[in-house]
Amino acid sequence: MIQTIQLGRVLRETVMTPYTDLVTRPTGAAIRGRIQDAMLQSAAATTLLDFTGIGLLDFSCADEVVAKLLLDADPGTDRYVMLGGAREDHVEAIDHVLNHHALAVAALSAPGEPPRLLGRVTPELRAVFLCVFRLGPGDALRVAEVLDWTLERAADALQTLALLRLLRAEGGTYRPLPT
Amino acid sequence: MTRIAEIPAYFDDKSFDQFAASFGTWPPDARVLFDARGAQWASPYGLIGLLTAGQALLEAHAERPLFTVPASEDVRRYWARTGFFRHAVDLFEIHGRVPKTPPDEASDVLLGVTPVRASEDVHQVVGKIQEGASRILHGELGLEAKATMGFAMALSEACQNIVEHAGTAGWVAVHAYNWRKRLGRRVVVIAVSDAGLGFRRSLEATQARRFGDRWGDAAALEAALIQGVSRFRDPGRGQGLAGIKRYLSRWDGKISIRSGTARLSIVPRWDDDLPLAEHLAFFPGSQLQVVIPAQEPSTR
Repeated sequence: MIQTIQLGRVLRETVMTPYTDLVTRPTGAAIRGRIQDAMLQSAAATTLLDFTGIGLLDFSCADEVVAKLLLDADPGTDRYVMLGGAREDHVEAIDHVLNHHALAVAALSAPGEPPRLLGRVTPELRAVFLCVFRLGPGDALRVAEVLDWTLERAADALQTLALLRLLRAEGGTYRPLPT
Repeated sequence: MTRIAEIPAYFDDKSFDQFAASFGTWPPDARVLFDARGAQWASPYGLIGLLTAGQALLEAHAERPLFTVPASEDVRRYWARTGFFRHAVDLFEIHGRVPKTPPDEASDVLLGVTPVRASEDVHQVVGKIQEGASRILHGELGLEAKATMGFAMALSEACQNIVEHAGTAGWVAVHAYNWRKRLGRRVVVIAVSDAGLGFRRSLEATQARRFGDRWGDAAALEAALIQGVSRFRDPGRGQGLAGIKRYLSRWDGKISIRSGTARLSIVPRWDDDLPLAEHLAFFPGSQLQVVIPAQEPSTR
C-alpha cells in the first residue's frame, strides 16, 4: 500500500503564502515535520512524495525535506520513501544533497519504466535494482545468474539496496517497492 | 565634525574598496556624510552596499548619517527606479530632491533593492524573480531555459546566508546590464549584502583553531566558499554556496564574497580579478556578488 503526500498542498498549509516554491531550511523542516506526522498516522509501508505543482526546490529545502527525512527514518521499521512528479531541476537538487549524505532514493519515471535512482548509487547497485524491478521478487541466486555474477557479489548488492531502502528484504527475498 | 564618504562616480564591486576606505576606522569617529553628488552609475552591489553602510552606522548607534543625492537627474531617477531611495529614507538624512519615480521591476531591474530579514522574505524574492529571470537569462543572455531555475536557486541560497548567518537584516538586488568595459557582453548581477557578523566571527568558534595563525577574514572566506564549511554542526549545512558554485561553473559565472578586510572570488577566464584580496579597508558584514554573463555567440 502506498500513501501519497502532495507536497504542494503541504506547502500551502505550512507557509500560508501564494508561492509554490520549496525554499529555505525553516520551510523544509516544517514540511518534513508534517510528512513525518502523516507517515506515523498511516499504515502504508511506502510513502510517495509527490512534487507535482512545486516550482523551485533549492538545495537547503531539498536537504531538509528529502535527505533529513531519510536520515531520520527509524532503521527498525519497515518504511520506504519514493518520489513522484519531480522535474529535472528538482531531481538535480535532490541528487546533489543525497550524494552529500551518501543516501539514495527512487524517483518514479513514466509508467512501466523503472524508477530513477537519485543520490549515491554505484553502477553495480543500479544494475541489480533494475534487475529486480524487471524480474520481480527473487533471491540473490537469481540475480547472480541473470547478471553472471558470483552469488556473494549479488547478495552484497541486494543487501546494500535493502539498507538504502530501495528494495524490500523479506528473508532471502528482495522485492521492488510498489509503483 | 563630519567625515565625508564620497560615492565613486562609477560605483561597483571594483570601486567598493575605495568607498570602504573613506570611513577611516570603523565605526567612524564622526558623523558621516555620504556624498553621491558626483555619482554617474551604481551597480546593485554599490547600491545595497550604501544601504548596508547606513544600516551598520545606525546599528552601531552612530549619529544618523547624511546623504546628498546624485546631481544628475538621470542617475537620481535610475536609483529611484531600483527602489534605493524608498529604503534610504529610513537610514539617512537625505539632502536633495528625490524623484517620485516608482520602483520598476519590469525592465533591467529584475529585483529592486529588497530587504531580507527572515525566510518569508526569501520566499517573496524567489517568487518575484522567476518570470523576469527567464526573460533576461533565456531571452537576452542566450542561456538554456533550465538556467532560470538554477539562477533562482542561487539567489535563494545567497539570501538565506543573511537569515542564517548575519544576525541582522540585509539587502538583495538583481539587475541586468551591459558590461561593456569589463566583458563586452550583457550580464545579470545578483548582489546580497548585510551588516552582520561577517564570515570570520560566524565561523570563529568552530574553525579558528584549525587554521591557527592563518585565521582571519580570508581564511574564513576560504573555509566557507572553498571548503564548504558551516558554523552549524548539522552535516547537511554548507551546501548552499556549493550549489551556487556548481551553477556558476556551468554557466561560466563569477562569485565573489567580501567580508571584513578580505574578498575571495572564483574567477572565470573572462575576468582578470584577483582570486584573493586581503588587507582591504574594513567594511561590516558580508557582501556577495554573482555575475552571469551572456553566452558567447559560438556557444549559443
